[in-house]
Amino acid sequence: MDKSNHVVLVYCLTQLGFMFFFYPGNIISSATEGHWIPIVIGMLVNILVVWAYMKGLSYFPKQDIISIYLGVGKWAAFVFLCPLVIFLLLVNIITVRGFSEVISLVFLENTPVWAISGLFISISTYMAMNGIGAIFRTGVLLAFLFLPLILFTFVISFQNVDFHYVFPLLTKNFSFLWQPGYIHSFSAFAGSFLFLGFITPYFTYSRSKMMLALAALVPFFILSVYLPILTFGQATASTFNFPFVVLVSTVHINWLMFDRVTMFLLLSLITFAMLFISLLLWEVSRILKRAMPKAKPSYLILIVSTLIFAACLSISSWQDVQMLFSWNVSFRFFTLFAIPFSILIIGLRSGRRQKVENR
Amino acid sequence: MKELEERMGGNDDFFILPDQILGTPFVMMGFVTLIDLTRTKITLRKNRESLSESVSDITELMAVFGDIREFDLEEMVTLFIGGKLILLFEGQQRYVVVEPIPNVLSRAVESPTNENVLQGSMSSFNEDIDTNIGIVRKQSISKHVRVKTFLTGSEQLKKLSLIYDNCHVEPELVEKIIKQIESSSEYEINNLQNLSKAMGFSSWSAIPKFYTTELPQEAANALKKGKVILFVDRLPFALILPNLLWDMFSLDNDRNFPLPIMYAIRILRVIGVLTTLLAPGLYVALVAVNPEVLRIELALTIAQSREGVPYPAIVEIIFMLVILELIIEASTRLPRSIGPTITMVGGIILGQAVVTARLVSNLLIIVLAATTIANSTVVGFQNSLSIRLFKYLLVILCSIYGVLGLLAGLVILSAYLASINTFGISYLNFNMKKGETENG
Repeated sequence: MDKSNHVVLVYCLTQLGFMFFFYPGNIISSATEGHWIPIVIGMLVNILVVWAYMKGLSYFPKQDIISIYLGVGKWAAFVFLCPLVIFLLLVNIITVRGFSEVISLVFLENTPVWAISGLFISISTYMAMNGIGAIFRTGVLLAFLFLPLILFTFVISFQNVDFHYVFPLLTKNFSFLWQPGYIHSFSAFAGSFLFLGFITPYFTYSRSKMMLALAALVPFFILSVYLPILTFGQATASTFNFPFVVLVSTVHINWLMFDRVTMFLLLSLITFAMLFISLLLWEVSRILKRAMPKAKPSYLILIVSTLIFAACLSISSWQDVQMLFSWNVSFRFFTLFAIPFSILIIGLRSGRRQKVENR
Repeated sequence: MKELEERMGGNDDFFILPDQILGTPFVMMGFVTLIDLTRTKITLRKNRESLSESVSDITELMAVFGDIREFDLEEMVTLFIGGKLILLFEGQQRYVVVEPIPNVLSRAVESPTNENVLQGSMSSFNEDIDTNIGIVRKQSISKHVRVKTFLTGSEQLKKLSLIYDNCHVEPELVEKIIKQIESSSEYEINNLQNLSKAMGFSSWSAIPKFYTTELPQEAANALKKGKVILFVDRLPFALILPNLLWDMFSLDNDRNFPLPIMYAIRILRVIGVLTTLLAPGLYVALVAVNPEVLRIELALTIAQSREGVPYPAIVEIIFMLVILELIIEASTRLPRSIGPTITMVGGIILGQAVVTARLVSNLLIIVLAATTIANSTVVGFQNSLSIRLFKYLLVILCSIYGVLGLLAGLVILSAYLASINTFGISYLNFNMKKGETENG
C-alpha cells in the first residue's frame, strides 16, 4: 500500500521538531563564517545516507531491517541492532529530558521537571501503543493543527533581519569539521530516517518523493541557522544555547494579543517531538519483539518507557544531559553510517546473487 | 385449538372469530391491536365473493387466502406477534397465514426533528423500517442499491436492514459486516449500545461508531460514497457505517450552496470544534498557569475581571461548565412549554447574577458562551456530545500544565482519533474510495 505522503510528512515533522532546537546552536558554535558550507555538507551527508538506506531497503520488498539482518545471520543482527537499540534509548532519554528542561525553563518554572517528562513519556507511549498506522495518522492530524503555527512563526521571525550579516559568504577555514558542535549537529539527522526501514512490511513509499522532501528541507535547515545570525550577528548568536528560540522571543507584533510567540513555536515543535519519541519507542519495541517473540508489544513499550522515565528521573542537571549527548556520539555515527551502508551492501549482494540465479 | 387459547390467554386484545365460507367453517385469529379488523374482513369478503362456486377442494380454497403452513404452535405465536392474521379451518392440520391490513401505528413521513435543514429536502426517517428503506430507495434511485434484512434477538425479534450500493462499496466491508451480524444474531438490539455490542465494537469508545442521521439525503450520499447504512426497526434514523471525522464537518446539503460558501461553512465548523475544545482550556491556562504569555495590558484586564473571585480558575470554570451542561440537559428533558423558563433562568444566572455576585469573572462568561455556541456548529448531535466530553480533558490538563497541557491534550486527542477504526477503516479517512480502505 502506497503511503508516500504519510511517510514524507512524518519524516518532515520529526526533522522540523529537531532542527530548531539544537541544530542552529551547534552550527553557529562550530563555524564563525560561511555557515552555509557546514550546513550543506551536513545535508549532503544526510541525503546520501538516506538514499543509500532506501536503495538498500528496496532490494528487500516487504522486509524490515530486522529480518534483513537476520537473513544475513544472527551475529549480524546482534552486531547492528544492539548499538541501534542503545542509540534509540539514549536518544529517547535525551529528547524527553532535554525538552522537559527547555519547557520548564521557558514557561513552567513552578512545575517539577519529572511531571513534564512524565507527561511526555506517557503521551508518546500511548501513541506508540496504538501502532504504526495510528502514529502516522496522528502525524497527519498534528501537521494540520500545528504546521500553520510553525510556518507563521517562521515568517514573522524575519522581522528583525539584517541581511548584511550574511557576509562573509565564503570561508577557507574547514576546521569546523572537527568541532564538537559540528559533530553534535548530526544528531538532527540521525534517528529520523531510521523508521523507513521499519515500516516496509506495512507500507510502501516512493523513493523519489522522499528525496524531494529531503531537498525541500534544505532551505529550512539553512534558515534555522541563518535567521538568528541575521538578527543578532554571529558574535551574539553564538552565546545562546538555543538561538532560534531566543530569536522568536525577540519578535514583537502589534496586533497579536500574545506577548510571547516563542511559546507557540516551542509547543508545536514539542508535539512533533512527541511524535518522534513515539516512533522511536515503536522501533525499539519492534526489535525487542523479535528478540522476545512471546511478549506483547504493548507491554514491551510500557517497560521501555518506564525505563526511559526512570533514566530521566536520575538525570539531575543540564550538564548530565550534555554528557549523555556526547556519549551518544559513537552510537550516533554508527547508526548514521553503518546501518544504511550495511543495508545497501547486503542489498547489493543479494541483488547480484539473484541476478546470477536468474541467469 | 385449546392449546392455542391457553397460550394466548391473558391477552385481551387477542381475538378468535368464527366464520364460514361456502359452508366450510373456520376461525380467524390475531391481535386486534395490530390488525385493522373491519377493513381486513371486508377485503376477505370481497375475496370470497369473487370465488367461483366451482372451488370444491379445501386446499384450493385455503390457497386463495394466503400461505398454507403445517400446524406449529410456536411459529403461529411468532406470526401473531408479527401482526399476521391466521385462518384455521376445521378438521385441518394446516393453517393459512393472511397478510391483513395493519393498524397504522407509525407516524407519517415528517420533517426532521433533531437536525435542521436549510434549503434541502425536508423528509426524514421514522420508526418504521420499511418506510425508511422505501425513503432511501426513493432518494437514491439506482439499480446498484442492495438491501439485506436480518432478524436478531432470542426473546424479542428485531428487524435489522443493511443497505449498500453494490457499485461503490468495498465488498470486503459488506462481507465483514454481514458476518458480524450473523454471528451475533442472538443479541437483543433495542438501542445503539446493544447494536455496537452486536457489531463487536468496544462499548467504551467515546466517539460514536455510527454516524446517525435523520436525513435521507445524507443517507443516500453515504451510499454513494461507499458507506453502508443500517436500519433498526423502531429507531427513527439511519446508522451509517463507518463514521468518519470529516462527517463532523460536512453535510451533503452544503452542496446546495455555491462552492465558496460551502467551504466557508465547513471551515466555520472546524473553527467551531477547535473553539469548543480550546477556549475553556486556554482560559484556564492563561489565567492560572501562564499569564505571561499574554500582552501585559491584556493580562492586567483579565486579572482585573477576576478580582474578588474567591477560587482558582479551574474550580471556577468547572463550576460554570457543569451549570451549563445542566441547563442543556434540563432543556432537553422538559416539555416544550416549560423549556423557555429554563432558558430565561439560565440566561439570567449566566449573564448577570454570577458576575454581579463576583462568583466568576466576566471573561469566563464570554468564554463559556463562545464554547457553547461553537459546540453546536458540529454536524450531528452525537458528535457534539463527544466534543463536549473531550473539552474537560483539555481543561484538566491545562490546569496542571498550562499551555503545554492544551497542546498535550490535543496530541492525546489526535492519537485517540487516529487509533479508532471501524472494520479496518480508520476514523480519519477522508473518503471510502476503493483501494484506500486503510488510508488515514
